[in-house]
Amino acid sequence: MELFLQQVFNGIMFGSTYAIVALGLTLVMGILNIPNFAHGHLYMLGGYLLFFFAITLGLGYWAGLVMAVIAMAVVGMIMERIVYRPLNEQPHINAFIAAVGSLLFLESFAMVVWGAQGLRVENPYPQMIDFMGVTMSVQRLLVIIGAIVLILGLHFFMKKTIAGATIEAVAQNREGAMLTGINVNRVSSMTFAISAATAAVAASLISPIFMLSPAMGAILGMKAFIIVILGGMGSIPGAIVGGYLLGLIEALGGGYISADYKDVFAFGALILILAIKPTGLFGKGEV
Amino acid sequence: MLKLRNVHTDIGGMQIIHNVSMEISQGEFVALLGSNGAGKTTLFRTIAGVLKPNSGTIEFNGVEIHRMPVHKIVGLGLVLCPQGRQLFPQLSVEKNLLMGAYPMRKDKMRMQKNLDRVYSLFPILKERSNQQAGTFSGGEQQMLAIARALMSDPQMLLLDEPSLGLAPLIVKQMADTISEINKELDTTIFLSEQNANMALNITDRGYVLENGACVLSGESSQLQDDESVRKAYIGA
Ligand SMILES: Nc1ncnc2c1ncn2[C@@H]1O[C@H](COP(=O)(O)OP(=O)(O)OP(=O)(O)O)[C@@H](O)[C@H]1O
Ligand SMILES: [Mg+2]
Repeated sequence: MELFLQQVFNGIMFGSTYAIVALGLTLVMGILNIPNFAHGHLYMLGGYLLFFFAITLGLGYWAGLVMAVIAMAVVGMIMERIVYRPLNEQPHINAFIAAVGSLLFLESFAMVVWGAQGLRVENPYPQMIDFMGVTMSVQRLLVIIGAIVLILGLHFFMKKTIAGATIEAVAQNREGAMLTGINVNRVSSMTFAISAATAAVAASLISPIFMLSPAMGAILGMKAFIIVILGGMGSIPGAIVGGYLLGLIEALGGGYISADYKDVFAFGALILILAIKPTGLFGKGEV
Repeated sequence: MLKLRNVHTDIGGMQIIHNVSMEISQGEFVALLGSNGAGKTTLFRTIAGVLKPNSGTIEFNGVEIHRMPVHKIVGLGLVLCPQGRQLFPQLSVEKNLLMGAYPMRKDKMRMQKNLDRVYSLFPILKERSNQQAGTFSGGEQQMLAIARALMSDPQMLLLDEPSLGLAPLIVKQMADTISEINKELDTTIFLSEQNANMALNITDRGYVLENGACVLSGESSQLQDDESVRKAYIGA
């Protein structure tokens, strides 16, 4: 029972990261109509920027987090402006290629600036809490709470503000949105900013627990992509539920069977769910 | 109010609109007639700024708009209610309408006033304000599209084939509502239709488009009696 609860706790913590990253990927997919394959690399860069601001510049964890998030919002906007916007009217394959180009660029950039070996952000909250036989570090708890706050905040923004509604409007009908007077380019820019900033939040929350490495973006980006398919392409609730589900599957599978097969469970679940429901958990119509 | 001078528009390297010039004044109710593929939609999309003309000029209230982005043209008070409706299918009716008021998003009072106004014009939209737009029937979606276009209180409305795919009884209602918008709300309307009979019954005058060129224009009553128009578009 205690092992079970411990694994559930870990699963929710991993799931928190997955849910945030998949959510950001989903938002941008609505705008671009293709997945931004470089999204995982934005997450990776967010982690390194936390290291840069918090450790290198010595601003401390929280100020570093805020700076990393702001800086990543700007990076997101730049990416939209110089990589994707010029390809707006072009065939989707061009945007695919641009996405691959961006991720290679970001990974090499991190490699050159910070090196290939892992970096550690010192854990600001190493204290342990014991709750119902489950040991949890305060930082891990912070990951879970941070994700919940972020998801609720984003939900409020999307459902209750006009700026948030424009993101959905552009995703559902780009030309319809233009014709209501929405500046579609500005919405794209804002969506990229939010997407990259949320990836930076996820990375900043978890980097005191795991080492930073230039390769971490590729792995997470791939998983976020699985989650987005799992949740039903483009569905926001699907991305959130899918994120937590993947975290739980990995943690329970890893805890009870073998941690070596963690990723096998993730892909296995994807194949199983798509076999049963080809449009994904929350998918509507065709994929 | 709207002035087109020698407008040419290409799509994918093919010239679709040839040398179209027209002028519409404040308060007028004008028809754009033409059969399938005549270029009505292409002309409207050019005026609205979705497509850019290859040559020629378009002025709205004396301002050149043919190089402006769509959202700026909307901001000037020239709004297209597009063929195919282009609604936001997964947003509620009310959210669709509120997006229509995007240019005045900072003026909550006016937004509310416009919302009340379109609800009184289309009571069914009020009854179903929480329903997802995508679940509506064709006629209801068309009403919602017109209502959304009215939400920004446009000076001029381009209506692209609102009767397309609607049952005859609904077309009649739709025609009455459009006339009401022109008369009561004092909105200048440019209405594109294949249904020439309906359009000429309610408009003041009209243009006839054929293969992307303007071949005829005149008072609606004159066009109704015109032999070639009767043959081609009314079938009598
Ligand atoms: N995206 C496009 N690519 C290529 N050709 C196009 C495109 N859109 C329109 N056309 C062509 O332009 C011509 C005019 O089309 P348009 O849609 O403007 O006509 P329409 O008068 O609106 O017709 P309808 O009454 O059927 O809506 C047609 O010959 C059509 O095939
Ligand atoms: Mg048309």
